[in-house]
Amino acid sequence: MHFGPLFPQFIGPFPKFGNGEFSCIYILLNFGSNNSRMKIFTILLFLFASLAAMGQTLISGRITDQKGAAIPGANVYIKGTYDGTSSDATGLFSFTTDEAGAQLVSIQAIGFKSQELTRNLNGDAVTLNILLAEAINQLNAVTITAGAMESGDEKKSVVLKPLDIVTTSGAMGNITAALLTLPGTSTVGNDGRLFVRGGDASETAIYIDGLQVGNAFGSTTSNVPTRNRFSANLFKGSFFSTGGYSAEYGQALSSALALNTLDLPLRNQGDVSIMSLGGGYTQTLVKNDRALTASANYYNLAPYQSLVKQNFDWEQAPSSWDSEISLRRKWGNAVTGKSGMIKAYFHTEGSHMAIWQKIPGDSGRGDFVKLNNRYHYGNVSFKHSGNKGWFFYGGLALSHNKDAIRLNTDHIRQLNQIFHSKIVAVKDFSPQFSLKNGLEFFTKSYSEALVDENRERQFTDHQFNHFVEGTYYFSNRLVMVGGLRSGHSSLARQTWFTPRFSVAYKLDNQGQFSFAAGKFKQLVEEKLRVRQTDLKNSAATHYILNYFLVNNNRTFRAEAFYKNYDNLVTYSGPASEPRNIALNGSGYAKGVDFFLRDKKTIKDTDFWVTYSFVDSKRRFAAYETKVQPTFAPKHNGSVVVKHFVTAMKSLLGTSWSWNSGYTYNDPNMPGEMQRKTKAYSDLSLSISYLPKPNVILHVACSNVLGRQNVFGYQYASQPDEAGSYASRPVGQAASRFLFAGLFITISKDKKANQLNNL
Amino acid sequence: MKKLAQITMLFLVTTLSAFAQDTPYQKAMKKEVAKLTESDSLPVLQQSANAFGRIAELNPGEWQPVYYQGLAYTFQGLDKSLSLDKKDEVLAKADELAQKADALSKNNAEIVALQGFVLMAKLNADAASRGQSLSGPVLQTFGKARAMDPKNPRALALTAQMEYGMARFFGSGTEKACGYAKESLAIFASQDEQALKAALVPTWGKSLAEKMAKSCQ
Repeated sequence: MHFGPLFPQFIGPFPKFGNGEFSCIYILLNFGSNNSRMKIFTILLFLFASLAAMGQTLISGRITDQKGAAIPGANVYIKGTYDGTSSDATGLFSFTTDEAGAQLVSIQAIGFKSQELTRNLNGDAVTLNILLAEAINQLNAVTITAGAMESGDEKKSVVLKPLDIVTTSGAMGNITAALLTLPGTSTVGNDGRLFVRGGDASETAIYIDGLQVGNAFGSTTSNVPTRNRFSANLFKGSFFSTGGYSAEYGQALSSALALNTLDLPLRNQGDVSIMSLGGGYTQTLVKNDRALTASANYYNLAPYQSLVKQNFDWEQAPSSWDSEISLRRKWGNAVTGKSGMIKAYFHTEGSHMAIWQKIPGDSGRGDFVKLNNRYHYGNVSFKHSGNKGWFFYGGLALSHNKDAIRLNTDHIRQLNQIFHSKIVAVKDFSPQFSLKNGLEFFTKSYSEALVDENRERQFTDHQFNHFVEGTYYFSNRLVMVGGLRSGHSSLARQTWFTPRFSVAYKLDNQGQFSFAAGKFKQLVEEKLRVRQTDLKNSAATHYILNYFLVNNNRTFRAEAFYKNYDNLVTYSGPASEPRNIALNGSGYAKGVDFFLRDKKTIKDTDFWVTYSFVDSKRRFAAYETKVQPTFAPKHNGSVVVKHFVTAMKSLLGTSWSWNSGYTYNDPNMPGEMQRKTKAYSDLSLSISYLPKPNVILHVACSNVLGRQNVFGYQYASQPDEAGSYASRPVGQAASRFLFAGLFITISKDKKANQLNNL
Repeated sequence: MKKLAQITMLFLVTTLSAFAQDTPYQKAMKKEVAKLTESDSLPVLQQSANAFGRIAELNPGEWQPVYYQGLAYTFQGLDKSLSLDKKDEVLAKADELAQKADALSKNNAEIVALQGFVLMAKLNADAASRGQSLSGPVLQTFGKARAMDPKNPRALALTAQMEYGMARFFGSGTEKACGYAKESLAIFASQDEQALKAALVPTWGKSLAEKMAKSCQ
């Protein structure tokens, strides 16, 4: 958004303050000449003045930094008096004072540590040549960018603004889809979840306000893509790590995504959305330091699917409803002392779908799958800054996911729950050094039942974690972070320690290098674990080297990584009936990725280009050799362009994502994972039109070119009479997806809108 | 005639003694406020910020020196010659001072207007990427200041400037912005500037209101 140079200089022609002081003295002197008593007084005054002059001390000198460069604008003064001055452009200063005896001279400058010296003042000139040491300034200091991609408004090292997540064409308001335009990710079109650097979707852990979210993606059936359950307009920013992340996060081999909810909203408002797929309403109420937001939405794809031809054989189109409430309260004043905030957030939803899934080699409609999902997530989190550099945060969260599935005639019920509690204390010992200590407790339980047969299996695991992380700034250019996360699982009967380390160095040209390394553990997915509950952790080791440069509305990021996998889960037989489950697999992923974002070169246009190369092989699941996993295409790229047309009051967007194709296993050929699909490509277009500031009309279309993307092939479980396995491609739900929505905001401030919903 | 002279004399002496009663705090403040309103360069603004810092340290209960120190840093943050990093550094300082002033004098429209001014300067430092996220908070803060004191001419003039920029961005009418500018100018005209200055309350902003009113013509 370009506000342009609408804010000119304010400095300048302010009305002058009258010089009344001098005219008064003039009157006094004039007046005195006609009055003898006044004359004496005047003489006395002069005498006094000259006496004072004799007691004056001249203090002068130069203020420099440790390299000898001048520090202009430093404040030099005698403590407890008005006597003082500022250093000039060459660091020189001088002033006189009437104070005598031992006095404290204070020297202060922005960006430097203050100094105080005692000098004895007796009328003899005092020379002070002072070296000021640089102060650590969190605002401009180096930050660790290895593996990390932040979105937010405040920090400089961000790659995305919160708004970008939702105005990215093709993302359709889905946070995950927007993140898939960033380096290090792979689009897997028949799944919809986050795949990071050769890792599968379960290797990414997702957090809201620091607390883990279970089943963050909607339940779905195989090969029907899902989306993130949480609306993008809940969040003010995110921290997405593609590896080498902090000791604060664990139980994820590849990646952590931390989403931070909004603090206090600005105003009372009601938001109406009317979409081609459904509608919703959100009401926000704000009073002083408190806020309440409540929303309800309903979506149903049936009307859309009756108009647009679908490739899937739906018996009942997906429909869902959700409702959420969020409460926030803050206290204190951050500058003057203790302050903090408490947030409570509750989300509940339900969804339904029924689909026929064709079986390769079979001419019928295939398997009938019906899915009813009920999901609840709730968390209460707090943060509090105390005195003496203490900062506390933490909370409680519960995720509850229930899937009732009908597979042909079988009724299956799956129940997954995660309880997470966390308390963290951070202490700033000095501007250079801070130490973070956290305790976490998890209860994870899972059960699955064949309802008609009354058969059930389940497990409950208690996990206890401690993490400690120290951050040390050697200077504003060099920072080092070291951490250790330890954990214990009651079910796996295993205790583990995972060290993490990172360092970053800032160069002269605003660019910086970071390096991160660490060990990561993750227990096996619940569907396998429930069959064999004593399975221990899989492990990964990351090494990441990153270069990051932000300058003048351009961002460049390059990263090289190496990731080593150990103890990956393996089994024999089909995935639906695994046998001999063990942790015998291993593998690696290595590669480089690039990201360039430019808001400057083309007027009113913001674009970014991403390229990721991943070379990954692993022995996992039922594979007997190391293979390139189907979810790790070698070459991945994306281009996102946003162009604002003021005359049309519209934001035009396009995004293109591409990869070199997905590997798949063809049982008709010797070996494993021998084949690869053709390249994947999707070009999306969108337009957001603001006829009034509080009304937005958004229209988007994915895969405009109608390319028939294939994500792999399914094969019959048995060969036919000719001895070959029949196959069918796994493709898209429809060639294109068209979305239209009208978003209206009702508030006193007529300019408020829902740009965040796009 | 002599009597008249005596009365005049007496009158003069009273005025003089009233002047002489200015505390060192008031004297220092008046001198520095005059300097700040005249300053037009970064070094002078920094000198001004330093001087108010010295006054604030000696008078920890007064909000005015902290307010003016914050204002001096805000003016620096608007200087085009500074890099974004440097602007953010001085504006972070300004923000801190505005909050400190707020803690010293609660519900003070002048201080809330300054908080909005600091936010507006932050927006201005990188309008392309901060416009969307900060324009709401800026308008909201000015709104808060106007609610506390509907006749605060600085809150009105700053609102006018912000509304003007928004209207131009959305291609909508500038009537609202110009209304605020006019109102601000009228209040400036009706105020006794010297009396306000003597009471050490903020008086700056008239030229901004004049400029906004001019843009509206």
